[in-house]
Amino acid sequence: MEKKYKRLISSLKRTLTAVFALMLFAGSMAPTAAFADAPYKTYTVDGYGSVAATQTAYLPYATITKIGDETLVGPTDFTLMDDGEIFILDSGNKRIVVSDSEYGLVRTFGEGILQGPRGMFVAEDKTCYIADRDAKTIWVFNADGELERRYGRPDEAMYGEDQDFKPLKIVVNTSGTMYVICESNTNGIVEISPVDDGTFLGYFGTNSTDTSIWRIIWRAVLTEAQRAKMQQNIPATPDNMAIDEKGIIYTVTRGEKTEALKRLNIAGVNMIEPESYEDLPAAVAVGNHDNVFVASQEGFIYEYSNEGNLLFVFGGADDGDNRIGLSTKIEAIRIGKDDKIYVLDSDKAQIQVYETTEFVNFLHEALNLFSKGRYTESKQPLSKVLEMNNLFDYANMAMGKALYKEENYDAALKYARLSKDLDGYSDSFWEIRNTWLKHHLTAIVMIILGAFVLIRLIAFLDKKHGILKTPREALSKFGEKKLVKQLRFMFYFMRHPIEANYGVKHYGSVSLLSSNVLLVIMIIFFIINKYFCGFLVKTVREGSFDIVSDIGMILIALLLVVGCNYLMCTINDGEGKLKEIYCSLIYSFGPFIVFTPLIFLLSHAVTKNEEFFITFGRLFMFCWIAVLVFISIKEINDYTVKETFKIIFLTMFTILIVCLLAFIIYVLWAQVIDFIQQIPREVIYKFD
Amino acid sequence: MMSKDISEKEFVGDRPKTAKKKEKPAAFKFFAGIMAVMLMIGIVFSVIAGYGRPESTYPVKAATGEINGHKSVTANENYTLYVNDETLSLIIEDNKTGATMESSITYDDGESNKTWYGAMNSAIVLTMINGNDDSKQANTFNDLVTKKVKHTQYGFTADVYWTKYKLGMTLEVELTNEGLTVRVPDESIREDGKDYQIGTISLYPYLGNSYMDTKEGYIFIPDGNGALIYLNDKEGRYKSGYSSMIYGQDIGFEDNKVESLLWDRYKIINSAEQIIAPVFGIAHTDDKMAYLGIVEDGAMRATIEGMPNGVSVNYNRAYAKFIERKYYTQPTSNKSTVGSLKISESERSHSDLQVRYIFLSGENANYAGMANAYREYLLANGSLKKTDDGFRTRVDFLGSDREQWVIGTSAVVMTTTDDIREIYADLKNRGVNNLLSVYKGWQKGGIYNIPISKYKADSKIGGTSELTGLIKDAEASGTLFYLYDDALRINPSEYNVTFNIVKRINKRKFEEQTHKEVYSTFNYVTPSRSTSDLNKLVKKMTAKDVNGLCLAGITSNMFSYTYGGTNYTRYHCGNAYSQLMDSVDEKLDIAMEQPNAYLWKNASAFLDMPLYTSSYIIEDEFVPFMSIVLKGIMPVYSEYVNFEANRQEFFLKMIESGTYPSFYITKESSDELIYTNSNDIYSSQYDTYADTIEEYTKELKSINDKVKDATITSHDIFGSAVRVIYSNGVKIYVNYGENEVTVDGVKLAPMTYSIF
Repeated sequence: MEKKYKRLISSLKRTLTAVFALMLFAGSMAPTAAFADAPYKTYTVDGYGSVAATQTAYLPYATITKIGDETLVGPTDFTLMDDGEIFILDSGNKRIVVSDSEYGLVRTFGEGILQGPRGMFVAEDKTCYIADRDAKTIWVFNADGELERRYGRPDEAMYGEDQDFKPLKIVVNTSGTMYVICESNTNGIVEISPVDDGTFLGYFGTNSTDTSIWRIIWRAVLTEAQRAKMQQNIPATPDNMAIDEKGIIYTVTRGEKTEALKRLNIAGVNMIEPESYEDLPAAVAVGNHDNVFVASQEGFIYEYSNEGNLLFVFGGADDGDNRIGLSTKIEAIRIGKDDKIYVLDSDKAQIQVYETTEFVNFLHEALNLFSKGRYTESKQPLSKVLEMNNLFDYANMAMGKALYKEENYDAALKYARLSKDLDGYSDSFWEIRNTWLKHHLTAIVMIILGAFVLIRLIAFLDKKHGILKTPREALSKFGEKKLVKQLRFMFYFMRHPIEANYGVKHYGSVSLLSSNVLLVIMIIFFIINKYFCGFLVKTVREGSFDIVSDIGMILIALLLVVGCNYLMCTINDGEGKLKEIYCSLIYSFGPFIVFTPLIFLLSHAVTKNEEFFITFGRLFMFCWIAVLVFISIKEINDYTVKETFKIIFLTMFTILIVCLLAFIIYVLWAQVIDFIQQIPREVIYKFD
Repeated sequence: MMSKDISEKEFVGDRPKTAKKKEKPAAFKFFAGIMAVMLMIGIVFSVIAGYGRPESTYPVKAATGEINGHKSVTANENYTLYVNDETLSLIIEDNKTGATMESSITYDDGESNKTWYGAMNSAIVLTMINGNDDSKQANTFNDLVTKKVKHTQYGFTADVYWTKYKLGMTLEVELTNEGLTVRVPDESIREDGKDYQIGTISLYPYLGNSYMDTKEGYIFIPDGNGALIYLNDKEGRYKSGYSSMIYGQDIGFEDNKVESLLWDRYKIINSAEQIIAPVFGIAHTDDKMAYLGIVEDGAMRATIEGMPNGVSVNYNRAYAKFIERKYYTQPTSNKSTVGSLKISESERSHSDLQVRYIFLSGENANYAGMANAYREYLLANGSLKKTDDGFRTRVDFLGSDREQWVIGTSAVVMTTTDDIREIYADLKNRGVNNLLSVYKGWQKGGIYNIPISKYKADSKIGGTSELTGLIKDAEASGTLFYLYDDALRINPSEYNVTFNIVKRINKRKFEEQTHKEVYSTFNYVTPSRSTSDLNKLVKKMTAKDVNGLCLAGITSNMFSYTYGGTNYTRYHCGNAYSQLMDSVDEKLDIAMEQPNAYLWKNASAFLDMPLYTSSYIIEDEFVPFMSIVLKGIMPVYSEYVNFEANRQEFFLKMIESGTYPSFYITKESSDELIYTNSNDIYSSQYDTYADTIEEYTKELKSINDKVKDATITSHDIFGSAVRVIYSNGVKIYVNYGENEVTVDGVKLAPMTYSIF
């Protein structure tokens, strides 16, 4: 066997490593990653935002542990230059290390000046800006590593009188304006112009505070002292940021939901809302295809499209297994010109490099073309992506859009539905419906006319010869059957609730049987509408069914309402019997039975533009039901309006109490059972 | 899985390294400086001198047959065994070259504490279970041990007894023509006291050790297909080495590691590759001496440990660690978070413990030599049989799966029997003739209606008679056709899981989470139920003269479990599966999904061979060890090409390792599967893959036409390139690099191969 040299990249050129290893001793130089399979899975999201497996997007490529012979201590930031040089902020050693493209040492600088550096930005001309937290200073070094100028705390009043200046991260735009994230400065990113040795321009891209309704209610309820104890409602300071060629700034903030990743234009306005986010983002970088990368502290790496669609998430925390490509504490992320991802791990004091796979290269090609609006050209790489993964959501969405532009609406519809792209689906559907209407307009008119004529003809013949006499008689005979009559009473109930309730109470216009039949019909309608309505108005995941809990929920809700209402009525001089209350409640839901089929049919014919028909229809239906319920309670118990309101409030309160009670009993009971089981078990296992 | 060699906390503070350095007086520094200079001069000289001298220096052998206090005990044609009766440490010497390997350290760097120093000089190292502590160590060097050593014809036996801990066992060492066997018979293991019980046993853990980078060579570990850890200076980078259970994790015990989950829910880190064969090795390439360790007895409950320098001590070592007893967490409440006890197993696992060391020298002292030795070993003792291993392309089909519907589930039909006929016809037109097919999801109710105990095909894919017809026709045209059966898992939504279900040692039912919409969990059936279900199926299949069965689940899993108040060990489980396979093998032709080594003799095809490692950072090189063992003996098929992101690299890997390609095919587009449990099959449609299958088949077949059924005799790595030499003289060169390289005068463009 030849002498062997490890192939993890450390310092020297690969060829040099070989030569040196032969000259010195076997491979103590270390490291490259061989042809490693990734130790992590790669996920993307489906149209509902849940994860779905996909091909490996990025593979571990190399691990940089040394620059020349220099080791790093707690590095916190780095930058890749166009010529291949890498500037690394070696925070533990309070210096900047410059590496060539093969990880050999070029030079170090900043020793003796830096005190507690945390962030770095290197401009294209290699001017190096350092955010030094402990020195409360921004240091600027020129391309030769000489200290050129420094900026301290802005002295403008606008900066804030008691506001300290502890810079953590910095980016600089092409005109030299500095954007600085400062420790515990919650006003936002500090924007400093280089004019006049540093002019404070203002705060930029401030995160919004939590202004949920609950918080407002809470604050209104609490006393002054309690409010003071409450967690202060101040906006979170961003944790890291990146700037792209156009001067657009990306920030990441911990513990934020919608603002975890922000894309801020020059005016500081956010332009994206990522669909899936990370709780602990640590770093952000801009890619070469209008894509954005976010790395979490725990080691997950996210890639987003420029609209905030999550393309990939991969990586993970190293749990002590020491597998290549997992991280311990990520501080910074950068993207190379060849789309390689570089991740700086301060705990491991290394830079992990990931390379793209064939799959992600196709996707990037498509991203590029698609973002430039060259939809037809983007179809070719997209179909490559889809060949490798039929279920890749972004590709399905983009394919749908591309096909839509090509006016291939049927195919576009299929892809939009696969990717749950509601807008795309709606647009394609509109076009398809339009074409269909155009083609069939004459036929439709003819059918309507024909039907009209036919009805008139039959009516005429009936009048003259009574041809419909037998069926009519049969029908009216059927309608006089007791159950049918009771069911038909629903329509009367809807129109004349006061008289109808009188009927329920005194004339037995309805029965338990008829009410139960209506309940079953309602449940069936509810389920059909829930699972088989039009795609655009569907509220549940496609392909998921949970009938048992649907029926269970309806029955439990019904039981609670009827039961509690009855209890409250009996102690409040109500005249209603349990049966009457039940029947009148069921009959009050008559509009549901009438309207749901209409809404169901409509849902299959509308696009997003006409969706308000459905919204309006539902609103109308529920208002009608609410009025009927109110009148029923009032009439069945013979209450006044005031008393009815009171009883409704009491019923709701009782329901709440019952739920609470059930919960407490359940928890206590579970504890008791558990305790009883636990004693003998512990004895048995202990002496086993 | 990696772990610390032995719990670290025990040794903390024993030898304060940094404090010692500070105390060094100036005179010492000066002296050390001179020494360093002299040493460097020495090195330079020895390097220069080394060019003229092919062999390095060996320990001086005394005329009386003694090396460093070890007396010669026995010798044969190839090797001489030396033993120190006091410490039981041994040295094995290669008679031809004079090279040696020692079981204890020959140089003390003074940096290890007493416990470590003892372990490094011991024949047996135990960890003991004492109260709530399972990290306490006992060895034959430090502790008060009575030893009765008896020399035998081929070696020696030693009765070892730890008087303080009241533990004892008999160690039997024999010299063989190939090397050495080290054995502890089960009945000799004694636990007389109540306070201390045996946790783990390691035999000669430092056999073949070396200090830092004083030797050239590597440790071979069976991770995935195989990996090497070089014996260079690791500069203290690694805190833990390679430590992994032979034949995979034991699901009978809870994994107490905190897993990194995406959004606290999704498993994002791949499980490490499992050890398929119970082997490990060390090669000293400068001495041209190497050994392959084969765990012969006790492998079913043992780990392989490969520790480079810097992991606790500065010595490189590899060994097997036998597990006798383990702690487990016993929840006392139904909610696992409320109360739990840490208990150790009441009964230790019973098996003889034996490691066979096959020593290799000269040209064979490398990993390819180890693989060749292992193949010969397996063939000689009948653990492996030569089967027809002609080139075939594996084209698997998915029949049907289920998606939710209003009531229950409805079928999602992906590939019917007629579709398969069509695909076969099309492949034939394309010139793809030699096929092996596994039909998954053929049974009534789809792929996850498991376990299968009847030969009844789903009517939606064509029904039983259609399936039988297809199988007959496929066989007639030379295609090997297997029906897929995961004989381990059971679907609790379709079957009653009250009886014969695997419970962990803590008496909790084991559940496998799928994170899928339709079926969210699966359970495991006990080996006895696997046996009865499988036997029923086999009976029904043979009645219809259907002879191909592809088994999964039970081929690659092994676990401790409890059922009906009795605890069963991994030995029980593994042996039950082994017997089952023996009986099924008599009636049917079995293809197996990643079978463990003890099942190889029953398998007619090895499916899903890993072509990578688990990517541990300590691994320096991937080597196709398992492929070298099996190539030319049994057909080995890759994992599915569909899901590989880097197709070209994967293709080259198949060429390097002599692996045959595999495809997972459906007639319908895989987006149909979006709402099923199979939604991780994101690319499978035949129309997409027809060209790829044709292309791969043509290229790989032409290579295999040259290789025929030769075995791999040599495998060498040249930077980014590798050279594989077959027993019939065929040479294959593969370059994985980004640059052109030249090996043996053969120019290789980036990402290409050449064959001669």
